Amino acid sequence: MSEAAFDDSEINQDDSQEDVMTPAELIAKLEEAWLNEKFSPELQENKSEVVECVMEQLTHMESNLQRVKKGDAKASIHRMEVDRVRFVLASYLRSRLQKIEKFFPHVLEREKTRADGEPSLLSPEEFAFAKEYYDNTEAYLKAVALKRMPPNLQSIDMLKAVPEPCLDSFVFLRVKEKQENILIEPETDDQREYVVDLEEGSQHLMRYRAIAPLISNGAVQLI
Amino acid sequence: MDPSEVEFLAEKELVKIIPNFSLDKIYLIGGDLGPFNPGLPVDVPLWLALNFKQRQKCRIIPADWMDVEKLEEIRELEKREEAFTPVPSPYYMELTKLLLNHASDNIPKADEIRTLVKDIWDTRIAKLRLSADSFISQQEAHAKLDNLTLMEINTIREFLLDSLNCMYKLRSNLQPGSSGRTFTDF
Repeated sequence: MSEAAFDDSEINQDDSQEDVMTPAELIAKLEEAWLNEKFSPELQENKSEVVECVMEQLTHMESNLQRVKKGDAKASIHRMEVDRVRFVLASYLRSRLQKIEKFFPHVLEREKTRADGEPSLLSPEEFAFAKEYYDNTEAYLKAVALKRMPPNLQSIDMLKAVPEPCLDSFVFLRVKEKQENILIEPETDDQREYVVDLEEGSQHLMRYRAIAPLISNGAVQLI
Repeated sequence: MDPSEVEFLAEKELVKIIPNFSLDKIYLIGGDLGPFNPGLPVDVPLWLALNFKQRQKCRIIPADWMDVEKLEEIRELEKREEAFTPVPSPYYMELTKLLLNHASDNIPKADEIRTLVKDIWDTRIAKLRLSADSFISQQEAHAKLDNLTLMEINTIREFLLDSLNCMYKLRSNLQPGSSGRTFTDF
């Protein structure tokens, strides 16, 4: 057919040596991370391996597309798919940045106090961004208002000044792995706490706090 | 989430098309498709099927459930039951809308199907409003919503979640010894 400027089999070969996942699984993981980030009230764990692999796939495809003459039938199909993946990736990163800006002192605090073995919350670029944002905000507040305050009121505690994410927000979720005995806290004094079992494939509405740890290990998916 | 983003997810669903062109296998990041031969059915994601259809390069075969009798049965069942009945597809609304807008010539009795699906949707949304109302008034902390589709959840998502969060904040300030942490306004 068309002089295959796409040696498409290349892509699958490269990745089967490096990644444990197929490209299709990679994209599925990206979409899961995108939805989880979109719907959770706090910043989720960093998925930089997924982001980097997806970027690799996209740049590979983009460079193939550059080499091909316009009007090639396959090229337009690949182009459409690249646009779709790029949209998800951009939306995911934007979601994270919005939360970093909104909760910047708490995000930096979480990153500072996490144990050595735990996965990091921010990618190196995100960390640099958060630090800069913190410094810029502090400098701005000083220049605009604080330096005109009486000397004993010139400092500001960012952790107190910036609201925390509300972990008791309600979220919708779908269960991927069966879970037993999830504790549901009572809303009012006259209710008691109770436990529910989460069946695989079922969908629920409950507080984020009750299922937060299950998101990072992939047992539930926010929807 | 914007409804167009829900539609974006729905566009990944596979549909059967009959192409009128040939093309050998293509290796997309998301999986392999084809080869395409004129007259032979092949499964492709909806986003690609719609693109081909708009360029008049294929005919789309509607899914089994997109049939007047089946949908009438589903509609009757939905009206009878109080709970949500299982849906023919987790993206039934989006598929119907996209296929009827772009490929109604490939779907027999398109108008009737449009009306039936709308009826089913309306019944389910009415049930959803009722259950959201009782969830709030009973001050429940947990609900199971197995047969709801993403588009239906998305319709009340913002309103319901915002209201629940507001109510939680109001209630937790009433409890003695509340932590005094600051919360965001939204």
